[in-house]
Amino acid sequence: MSPNNILSPRQFALAIIAVTSGGAVGTLLRDVLLRLQSDPIPRAVATYTNVPAYGSWTGQIPWVLLVINFIGVYCATTLLRTAIRRRDPNDPTRLLVITGFFGGFTSYSGLFVALAAIWHLSIGGSLFVAAGALGSGIFAGWLGLGRRQHS
Amino acid sequence: MLLVTITGALGCVARFLMEYAVRRHHPTQRPWATVAANAIGSGIAGWAAYRLVSFGDQQMRTIILTGFCGGLTTFSSAIAIPALLQREHHWGYAASLVVTTPLLCGGAFVLGMSLAH
Repeated sequence: MSPNNILSPRQFALAIIAVTSGGAVGTLLRDVLLRLQSDPIPRAVATYTNVPAYGSWTGQIPWVLLVINFIGVYCATTLLRTAIRRRDPNDPTRLLVITGFFGGFTSYSGLFVALAAIWHLSIGGSLFVAAGALGSGIFAGWLGLGRRQHS
Repeated sequence: MLLVTITGALGCVARFLMEYAVRRHHPTQRPWATVAANAIGSGIAGWAAYRLVSFGDQQMRTIILTGFCGGLTTFSSAIAIPALLQREHHWGYAASLVVTTPLLCGGAFVLGMSLAH
């Protein structure tokens, strides 16, 4: 199947609906899960405003977001490798699931907000968490690729 | 929570439009649109994280950071696409995406942070 790089107005509208729907559900789920972590924003605000933050930098590690990103990378890689690999990048199902849902579910910017909060407490800790976040993501992608098929 | 969901969806649409615009003219360069979306989202996040710090800003802070910036940026595609590219033996392309994304996002975050002060 050759990629459909230019969409008709109807296809374009369908693509926007798919991305909006998937993105809304993914963002909502991430928001709900992030609220499980104990009160991260006030601590972060305290850090930014030079109010002494309580606890060590390890208390600022964004565990929930790290798990969200790990799951998102694993699932997206697995789906792109198998179920929707050969579909057009503008296919509504692919846009709904990959661009919309997993795009909205995972976050790169949230990671940097958390890293900045840690940076104020420990530069080494921030670099350690950054390396761990990237490393765990690459590991999730490797797991998602699964066993290499010999063809 | 409703506004976070809506702005998150808007962020996803903005990222899709960037990817679509690049794919129309340069299909093989589409992953760089995702890199750009991640960098722009991180820059906005850097600004918002350091600008919206008062108690009264908390709701707007969540709407922008968790909602719009969270939707505009994506960790899944930032890793999944390079993973698939390296599987297809495009090692250099995959490595350049994995390396440049955090560097550009970090730079954009610091730029946004400095603009907030």
